[in-house]
Amino acid sequence: MNKILIFSIFLISTLTSAQDVDSLMNALENDARPDLVIATFKSPKLVLLQTNETVKKNDLAFWVGHRFGDIGGEFGGSHTLFGLDVATDLYLGFDYGITDELTIGVGRSKADETYNFLAKYKLLQQLEEGMPVSVTLFGQSSWITREEFQNNEFPNQTDRISHFAQIIIARKFSSSFSFMLNPSFLARSQVSDPNDKEGLFALGMGGRLKLTKRFSLIADYTWVNGLGRPSDLDTKYYNPLGIGIEIETGGHVFSLNFQNAPFITENNFIPNTQKSWEDGGVRFGFAISRNFYVGKKRTINTN
Amino acid sequence: MNQETTYFFLFITLLASNFCLAQELYSTSSAQVEFFSEAPIENIKADSNKGISVLNLDTGEIAFQVKINTFQFEKALMQEHFNENYMESEKFPKASFKGKITNLDIQQNTTQDVLIKGDLRMHGISRSVEIPAKLQLRDETLILESTFNVACEDYEIKIPKLLWKNIAEIIQVDLTANYKKY
Repeated sequence: MNKILIFSIFLISTLTSAQDVDSLMNALENDARPDLVIATFKSPKLVLLQTNETVKKNDLAFWVGHRFGDIGGEFGGSHTLFGLDVATDLYLGFDYGITDELTIGVGRSKADETYNFLAKYKLLQQLEEGMPVSVTLFGQSSWITREEFQNNEFPNQTDRISHFAQIIIARKFSSSFSFMLNPSFLARSQVSDPNDKEGLFALGMGGRLKLTKRFSLIADYTWVNGLGRPSDLDTKYYNPLGIGIEIETGGHVFSLNFQNAPFITENNFIPNTQKSWEDGGVRFGFAISRNFYVGKKRTINTN
Repeated sequence: MNQETTYFFLFITLLASNFCLAQELYSTSSAQVEFFSEAPIENIKADSNKGISVLNLDTGEIAFQVKINTFQFEKALMQEHFNENYMESEKFPKASFKGKITNLDIQQNTTQDVLIKGDLRMHGISRSVEIPAKLQLRDETLILESTFNVACEDYEIKIPKLLWKNIAEIIQVDLTANYKKY
């Protein structure tokens, strides 16, 4: 009995003293906390939809978005150089990162001479172990400032305003593939079709396939028609689908896209897309963002 | 063998194993790694204080490791580009060094200049390097300080031609580790 005891103590003590540089390094390494998953998407915007990404703290992002006219069909073809003569929408905006999590922004859209105010907040971030998704909240209000097309189109000033809210649930499956689901709600005060609903539910979905470090394929789709919206409307509406490529060079992100949505802001393209991919209603578009760092330099602990 | 002899053996064994352990290994999980890139348009500085290292003062063996995504930059977007475009930290999550101090002869409360030879591995590439360092033993604390250069090209970290004015080709690395006796 005693011999067994002594033997086992010898064994244990040899095991403990076998603690060497490598095993101690492994022990230290395992103590580290799981890392945040970064860069699910390259940019706060995909083709049409918002991504879970926000503008970094003290960065000011300048946005230019452009949608050309129909490539084919009645309004396209060689007469408009496949839509390049036409600009259905043009968006200029500034987004500012108050913190790495919170972004506010203003912008102006050519369509309906609309002013946009947006806020975006990163609520949860995916972890390498544990949390499987990132969740970001997005809200946007639009104010239409154009003159009325007919009398009493907007009886009250508030009829020009719409509000949009979205929850963006995103997951980076690998360094090359990310996917997101964006359940959304749009509240309008005025609808052009009497049978249409003022409040619309929409479900966005989008993905990125990174081909090289700086070059990705991107696509997104918004399901709104067929999701509780009346189908007996006078106007035929289509679900927006955009496909494009995204190129990143330092502080710039360029995206070159094809989409059926003629408009750039959610408040406009989700309810008002009357063009379809099937009858030549698809158009070319692009977005450019440039980031400017406007904060003081972050202090770094140096001893 | 009677009871007392057993306890005596037990005591000696534990003492011996503790002693063996205590005298040689030093460790830290808060080593500071700082790097500096000096280029015509901008100087870039980043640091991490999450380096982990173990040093065996008997044999001179040393291992060092830092996770790439723990480096903090002045600009957050730069940090993202560093991880995504240059170091590809999802594929190659850490930089590590394993080697041996060649001329170890440390005394309490003195500073010794040492030369560490070993392999530095980052961005999936391993290279033999010789790194000069200063080593200082103060009671139970061992302080290691080192400055050395890393050429991006050696580790196939590609800088686009457009950005050569923003990013230096040779990066200066400063290292400070305060080891405690393990």
